[in-house]
Amino acid sequence: MEKLINFLSSMRWQDFIDICLNSYILFRFYVLFRGTNVFRVLIGMTVLWFFQRLAISLGLIVTSWVMQGIVAVGAIIIIVVFRNEIRRVLQAKNLKSILWGLSFKSAITPTEIIVDSVFEMAHRKCGGLIVFPGKEDLSDAVQGGIPWRGLITREMIASIFWQDNPVHDGAAIVNGDQIAVVGAILPLSQRDDLPSRYGTRHRAALGLAEATDSLVIVVSEERGDVLVAKGSRLREVKQKSTLENHLQEHLGTPAIKKRYLRKERLETVTAALLSIIFITGIWFSVSRGQTTLVSLDIPIEYLNQKPGMEIVNTSVKSINLVLSGSGALIKSITPDQVSVRLDLSQSVIGSNPFTLTAGNISLPPGILLKEINPPAVEVDLDETIQKALPVQIDWAGKLPAQFILLGFKMDPQTVEVVGGKRFLEKMTTLYTEKVPLDNLSGKGEITAKLALNPASLKIAPGSKDKVTIQYVIRKRE
Amino acid sequence: MMRYRLLFIFGVVLAIQIFLLLPSYCLKNISNANAQQPELSQAMMCEEIFNNAPQSPTVVFSASREKAICYSSFDPVPQKTAIFHNWFHRDVPSAKIQLILNPPRWSTYSSIQLRKTDIGPWRVEITDENGKVLGVLRFSVTD
Repeated sequence: MEKLINFLSSMRWQDFIDICLNSYILFRFYVLFRGTNVFRVLIGMTVLWFFQRLAISLGLIVTSWVMQGIVAVGAIIIIVVFRNEIRRVLQAKNLKSILWGLSFKSAITPTEIIVDSVFEMAHRKCGGLIVFPGKEDLSDAVQGGIPWRGLITREMIASIFWQDNPVHDGAAIVNGDQIAVVGAILPLSQRDDLPSRYGTRHRAALGLAEATDSLVIVVSEERGDVLVAKGSRLREVKQKSTLENHLQEHLGTPAIKKRYLRKERLETVTAALLSIIFITGIWFSVSRGQTTLVSLDIPIEYLNQKPGMEIVNTSVKSINLVLSGSGALIKSITPDQVSVRLDLSQSVIGSNPFTLTAGNISLPPGILLKEINPPAVEVDLDETIQKALPVQIDWAGKLPAQFILLGFKMDPQTVEVVGGKRFLEKMTTLYTEKVPLDNLSGKGEITAKLALNPASLKIAPGSKDKVTIQYVIRKRE
Repeated sequence: MMRYRLLFIFGVVLAIQIFLLLPSYCLKNISNANAQQPELSQAMMCEEIFNNAPQSPTVVFSASREKAICYSSFDPVPQKTAIFHNWFHRDVPSAKIQLILNPPRWSTYSSIQLRKTDIGPWRVEITDENGKVLGVLRFSVTD
């Protein structure tokens, strides 16, 4: 118990937020995508990932490679293949329902009205196609259709499939207690074992039932039969009660709905708990795994340097930090995630000693500082001044023995530079970068860049950073 | 009485003349002192000296030639004096050579032995006894 209290007290408040936030994100993913193919594929990807880790730990090289490849491209596959489902989930819901809401199915489909209407249509030999979607998205399978969004009544069903209605040949799609779409075109079944009496309407009903988890009611125009297509089966229904049973089985009765609602709530609570357990497990495995040490060389960043002052010299260019943390965190750490900063706002001209503390070092969360080498830094600052310096060419290489560099003209002959006062006062000449002689002959013009040494030296605004040289090479007399 | 008066006038005129002429005499002496400084008429880097004249003037010396010469000529040289050739390798003093100049004009030179370690930019500052820079020559030693 004491150990548990000690362990919990070692956790920071940020760690609790970290676990809660990620658990909630995972839970929201479940709420938004439950019942869709995306969710099933995500679960499949997670299982694959666990198998991959298992394969690695067992030393199964090819298996782990294959699984790693599948998991790596999994995200792209999900986005490409299930783009419509993802879009539907994100478009259909507002921001509040994405971040907060729990959408339990509540609208109850009036099966009695539908059954009565269907048998009345059958009696009048008025053809019809009514689709009751399951959990799968129909947008890939169904084409066209006109949004209707009308409450289900006998009159409305009769009017939709009335022969003079322009949309009577298409299918009506039911959503809860509404007819959502009319005139929808369904995919035709390609089966060749269907009885010859079945027409296009029957094939359309079976085609959608085969492709999705929908239930489709067909009313035959020629024979006045009522058929139900579900999965790969197309069954004739003679009795109203049988059709109602089929519909209730597919949609759920109010009593079933209540049970379903309770079950759904239980599932949601279980999913929330599992999300917390899953994320807590991941958090502990990532942040509280076996402690590992790493040594990084980090360059020092100087902040709040006063205008008119410049850094002339520092005792070290980079600081060696020994860091510790869990293996997973230490493996993922890169030098650009760590920074060593020194505040120069209180510094003066001359030598400024600084003692480095944890306050000067910025680390990613979960990483601990073990050692700073060296623990102190000396920064030499100087006043910035401007000075005109004569330029000298730094010739290099060799002319052929019979030739001699008689002379040259250089433009400009002096260049203004900006740098530390103490250094610039001693500096008498500004040299160019090495100018090779090897390829020069006769008369000619070349340009040479100025070598700014030390690097803190800058060319003053308005001065040139290179010189033009007109040279004369002649044969030795 | 008349004679004393003439003597007094003569004395006053003499005093005025002395008062007026003394400053100009002093200034002349000072300018003479300045004129006693030698004037650098020619200076160059060269590979050889032949018959007291520079040969093969250049600004680049190969270390394999073993010698770099700084030639300087002064005209006029009012009085016997000394000048210095200060040799710098990349701003670091390398040699300070004293040379004596004799009136009325004088040419003189100094040289350094070149080694592989001398490769890089050089300059020679020609200064008088007081350290006043009379001229600067720049050259390079290459492979």
